[in-house]
Amino acid sequence: MAANKIPIEINGDDDDEFDWEAAVREIDTACQSSKPSTSNSTNFNLCSKANKKPSTCKQSTLDKFFGNLGPKPQGAEEFNEGSSFDESLCHVQIDAEAAKTWIYPVNVPVRDYQFAITKTALFSNTLVALPTGLGKTLIAAVVIYNFFRWFPDGKIVFAAPSRPLVMQQIEACHNIVGIPQEWTIDMTGQISPTKRASFWKTKRVFFVTPQVLEKDIQSGTCLMKYLVCLVIDEAHRATGNYAYCTAIRELMSVPVQLRILALTATPGSKQQTIQHIIDNLYISTLEYRNESDQDVSSYVHNRKIELIEVEMGQEAVEINNRIWEVIRPYTSRLSAIGLLQNRDYQTLSPVDLLNSRDKFRQAPPPNLPQIKFGEVEAYFGALITLYHIRRLLSSHGIRPAYEMLEEKLKQGSFARFMSKNEDIRKVKLLMQQSISHGAQSPKLSKMLEVLVDHFKTKDPKHSRVIIFSNFRGSVRDIMNALATIGDLVKATEFIGQSSGKASKGQSQKVQQAVLEKFRAGGYNVIVATSIGEEGLDIMEVDLVICFDANVSPLRMIQRMGRTGRKHDGRLKGYMRKQATSKAIKKHMRNGGMNSFDFHPSPRMIPHIFKPEVQFVELSIEQYVSRGKKVKDDHAITTPIFKEKLTAAETDLIAKYFHPTSDSTWRPSLIAFPHFQALPSRVHKVMHSFRTGMLIDMMQHLQGLTFSGDDRTFVEDEVSSDKHLGLQTVEPCETDERDNFHGTKKVTDSELSTRTLGTQEKHSMPQSCCKSPAAHAYLFYSDFISVDALGKVLIISVPALPFKELSHSKKKRAPDTLLLNHWKQDSSPLKTSDKNYDELTVQSKAVEELTTSQAACIKDGALPISRFCRSDALPEKPLDGFEEILDSPVLRRNQLREEDTTDETLDVNEIKEPLSPDDEYHNDLRDSELSPRLTNLIKSGVVPESPINENGASNNKGRNPDLASPVKLCSIQPSKFASLGKTEKCSKYVRASQGNVSISPVNKKIQTPLLKMNHTASAGGYSPTSPIAEETKTPLANLANSSCSRDWRLSSGDKSENVEPARKFKRLRKVRDCEQNKNSENMKENAVAPVVNLARRFLGMSPIQNKHGRGRKKPMDNMREYIEEEAEVSSEAEVSDDEEDDEDNNSYDDSFIDDRMNPTATSTQAESSGVDMMAIYRRSLLSQSPVVRQPNFSLTYSPDSATPMTRITGSGSSSGKTLISMQTPHSKSANRSTCRNSESIQTIQQQTTSATFTSTDLIRERERNLENRKRKLSYYHSGSTPAINLEPKFSFHSEDTGKNLCQQGQGDNIKANGETIDDDQFYENLDLDAVEEHAALLLKQKSEFSVREQEVIPQSQLQKHDIHCSPSFDLGI
Amino acid sequence: MEKETTFDSDLIHAIFKHIWTRRSLERERNGGTDAMESEFLLHQAGAGTSKKNRPTSANANALKLSCELLRVFVTEAVQRAAAIAEAEGVSKIEATHLERILPQLLLDF
Repeated sequence: MAANKIPIEINGDDDDEFDWEAAVREIDTACQSSKPSTSNSTNFNLCSKANKKPSTCKQSTLDKFFGNLGPKPQGAEEFNEGSSFDESLCHVQIDAEAAKTWIYPVNVPVRDYQFAITKTALFSNTLVALPTGLGKTLIAAVVIYNFFRWFPDGKIVFAAPSRPLVMQQIEACHNIVGIPQEWTIDMTGQISPTKRASFWKTKRVFFVTPQVLEKDIQSGTCLMKYLVCLVIDEAHRATGNYAYCTAIRELMSVPVQLRILALTATPGSKQQTIQHIIDNLYISTLEYRNESDQDVSSYVHNRKIELIEVEMGQEAVEINNRIWEVIRPYTSRLSAIGLLQNRDYQTLSPVDLLNSRDKFRQAPPPNLPQIKFGEVEAYFGALITLYHIRRLLSSHGIRPAYEMLEEKLKQGSFARFMSKNEDIRKVKLLMQQSISHGAQSPKLSKMLEVLVDHFKTKDPKHSRVIIFSNFRGSVRDIMNALATIGDLVKATEFIGQSSGKASKGQSQKVQQAVLEKFRAGGYNVIVATSIGEEGLDIMEVDLVICFDANVSPLRMIQRMGRTGRKHDGRLKGYMRKQATSKAIKKHMRNGGMNSFDFHPSPRMIPHIFKPEVQFVELSIEQYVSRGKKVKDDHAITTPIFKEKLTAAETDLIAKYFHPTSDSTWRPSLIAFPHFQALPSRVHKVMHSFRTGMLIDMMQHLQGLTFSGDDRTFVEDEVSSDKHLGLQTVEPCETDERDNFHGTKKVTDSELSTRTLGTQEKHSMPQSCCKSPAAHAYLFYSDFISVDALGKVLIISVPALPFKELSHSKKKRAPDTLLLNHWKQDSSPLKTSDKNYDELTVQSKAVEELTTSQAACIKDGALPISRFCRSDALPEKPLDGFEEILDSPVLRRNQLREEDTTDETLDVNEIKEPLSPDDEYHNDLRDSELSPRLTNLIKSGVVPESPINENGASNNKGRNPDLASPVKLCSIQPSKFASLGKTEKCSKYVRASQGNVSISPVNKKIQTPLLKMNHTASAGGYSPTSPIAEETKTPLANLANSSCSRDWRLSSGDKSENVEPARKFKRLRKVRDCEQNKNSENMKENAVAPVVNLARRFLGMSPIQNKHGRGRKKPMDNMREYIEEEAEVSSEAEVSDDEEDDEDNNSYDDSFIDDRMNPTATSTQAESSGVDMMAIYRRSLLSQSPVVRQPNFSLTYSPDSATPMTRITGSGSSSGKTLISMQTPHSKSANRSTCRNSESIQTIQQQTTSATFTSTDLIRERERNLENRKRKLSYYHSGSTPAINLEPKFSFHSEDTGKNLCQQGQGDNIKANGETIDDDQFYENLDLDAVEEHAALLLKQKSEFSVREQEVIPQSQLQKHDIHCSPSFDLGI
Repeated sequence: MEKETTFDSDLIHAIFKHIWTRRSLERERNGGTDAMESEFLLHQAGAGTSKKNRPTSANANALKLSCELLRVFVTEAVQRAAAIAEAEGVSKIEATHLERILPQLLLDF
């Protein structure tokens, strides 16, 4: 400061500008190399000012330095402010980019004076004194907008003295510069302080009343640090202790750097008042424009001011005189004391009296005795009242004066003082008389006259009139008077809030409404008190009547400002005298530099930034008033819940909540205990600890039932694992299965426990139903409820108990198992009745079965079938089912036949299975046709070609197949026997690729035939199964080309007719997967044969399962699957290539191995049926899956050949059609040649040797898969089937062994061309292989088992072992 | 954002009130015998007898919270039941589906 003073001092003499420049340089130390030329720019208001009035500036500085008197030096102050401003910059950040320019909107025509004033106001605290209606608000809005731009965090406050004004200004500002409404808020006292506090934080531009501003500053809710701009409207109010002043004082004490812009039309009539305002508002610049100023005048509308003088009425004059009479003695007395100026008492005004009284109170004349004081006071009081009454009388008429007098006389000192005064009484009397006459005051009548005249010339709809009156009493009078005019005038009053005795005030809401209506035209006349004087911007007002013109000139100006805003207007005053304020204009001119002291103001924008003006047309959105917005929001939120319920919903509610009866439905918590044993799927809310406890408890409780039986428990687990595996197949439905899991377990446990006890118990597994039918029904119901899953469940359930049963009671267990089996079979197939019948029949049959071996065999068979189902079902229910039905059932039947020789039972059984078969076929057909077609259609035209190509055989084969099975099933279930077969065979043969397709058929036919031989009826049965298979396989092949999976899946799904929805899901999944799989289709094709093989071979089922799972699983499993496929495909390809030389190639062998192994094993099995059991046991003990596989293969040895062909066929379909075509032929040829069993044997030997490797590979794959999956599921499925298969092959081998001989005979009989060859070939193969390679196989198995045992521990097989071992043991 | 769609707090409040009034009525009906006891308890709790008859009330935030809790509860129930229904291949949630998930659901909340 001191350092600065010196230069200022020095420079002060030279030039003000220089001095200022120096200060600026000091201020902006770092960045600004301030040039002297900056003074030219408008940035430096003070400079420009200084330029204007260099002399005054100089003077002021000189005063400051030498005299310490008068105005403060601007330069020094500026410096001060500047430095502190730099510090304060940290509070509010400047947008440097925005600060390069300042924006001036050109939406409305630019007025030079507005532009100039705005420019000034941007850079210094300015008091704008502009005549009314010349657009002060625009200046404010532009300033606000620029500060809004410059300071992204800054807060801007616009203060206006009344709420209507606030509302008006916020809208006006919005319409001028379009500050986004989300940043603006109007805050008046109506908003609670807490709300205001939040607004202060979130909003940036505030339109407030000064009281609110003051309060919030004092309470600290206003974030003063961020204030950058404060606009004060109607700044002439900033006197004394008005809220403006206190608020700014608070702000300056902080201190806060902010721009202050004060607006007024009437700064004041005296220099002193203006100086007060300037002091209070820290104004540094005064921008004054007069209507007569050049740049303004063109915008001023003509305003005609008429002064209509109205003679007071006779009575009024009389009363007036009387009052003078009353007044005179008092005034004379007072003036005698020297308290009143000695002048004509008639010129005195109440204000004079008040001043005199104040003087008297402060400095009573010394010569006056103390006692007199009270008297003087009384005089003054009385005089003031009297003068007031007189004024009322003159300006407003008799009535208000009378009321005033009346009131004063009732009480108070005036009453005491005046009550005895005769003149007063007379005055009162006179008033009373005149009022009772009802005569209107001449002023009122004159006013009405004027009004009527006005509305005659102007359209009353578009013209607006404001009538000002100072007193509410007269407002009421005016209103009453206006009421007499009639329709022409629609008048309302517009008064302040305070409620007096006479009239109630208007709330701000009412005021708002009044203005709104006035603007809209609902009223065309408002009678206003002083509240209407300021700021109301009503364009259409073209007549203002000042009912009492003798108010201050300032207010007159304001009143006048209400008109002539848009049109020329008239101002009518009824006044005795018009005090004009000519004098003040003198002071205001020239920026008032010579007469006012100004305050320094911060520049706000650092000097680096020299904003250039930018004229911009702003796009301004429609202003939405806040009240409306709130309403809208409210309207949006509420209606949602008020909509009525639909009829369906009401019905639903009525279903559970009967309005009348108190027996409302209550959900049961114990209805599904099994579901509580497993955590249910959650959506967002996770299970709580308590839920975990519940689950544990439920598991514990349900586990207790079979706690005694460790094995069963284990088995249960195994089964559950299996189920899990199945679940994995369909990830989407895992949850369901989990759920079912619990039920399964329970059922399993229950079943096991009960089966252990008695058949009866067994019969009633879940609930205590004792009849088998009921039992079945339970299952069935479950099944139904569960849909597809149900199937699986059912299957599994019986399986477990079956094992257990086999352990405990082999005799009865099989029975139950069979029952279960049948249930399984039948249940999926639909008919419950049949199931029941079957069950009953079976149960009988089972009872008849007495031999333990048979039981064992059955046990084995049953599990096999079961596993097959469980394995195959998910993927290819058809195959699995068919096979299951065919092989196990038939075998069972046969076994039974053999063992028990009950033909009736057999027949019954056969029929029963047939019926399911029929159904199945039907299902198949449906599924085949519709889904395939759909799939094809969906997949595109492409699929058709494969169908044609591959399907040539397939279709042909299929059609006959389909037709035949149906026919067979429907027409001759029992007696179809050989004829049907032959027919089919012939048909197949006719098919081009018939070899391939036929072979399986034949084979299957053969196998069944063998069985069939025993019973003619059985024969009809068998064909169905192969057909089904055939149909499937070709279908699969077809599907392989493009939509194989879809197809299979669909077929599988269809087989499960129960669940259509699910099917679609699968299809969808499949389709989703299709894209990914398309690339792999080739591989799949190659694999497909394998799958087919697998299907043929029950033993292969695990592989199938894998494949199937892989397919059905989403991408994750797909990989595994792909890998498998890749392996297989590579093999397949190689095989295809080399199959031409079938015999020679090892690859062929390897590929054949799969098929051949079975054959070999089958031979084994045949040779050593008894041994098989041993092997089986061993395998069980060893728990090696490998053993099982061979076992399966053994069991299916006859089929193995067919798979071979099919594989080739499928391979051909996959794209190597030529090769494949050749291969089958060659194969067939080979086989035909192989009638000489020798060659085949050799091949087989080779194959067997190779088979080891191949099987190993397969197993390894399996293991890998298992490992990957880590879900024991696969392994279980694999292992379990193996176990099952073992028994299966055991009797299968027996059967085959026995049957084969017969078969051969039968085949010979039936043999047609190639089919015969094949059959024979197979037969030969079987026989030879069985006999010769049995030993080898046994060795192999043992080896495998050893290997596997080794392998198992490595991989996760241990678990499997644990699980499996008991089961195996059980199997034994 | 939070406003998406939750229960109308007025509705919830009405329901609450309904329950509370019914409860208080029940209490009064039963109150003949244990009026003394309750009064005693109230006295012990430092509450005046006047409070006894005052119905329960909830302030705005509590109500809002209740609405949200109810919303979460209902959606969770529906979603879980829907999962069950879907598992069964049914497209309509039945009461039985709700019963299956109800115990765990109740424990979860």
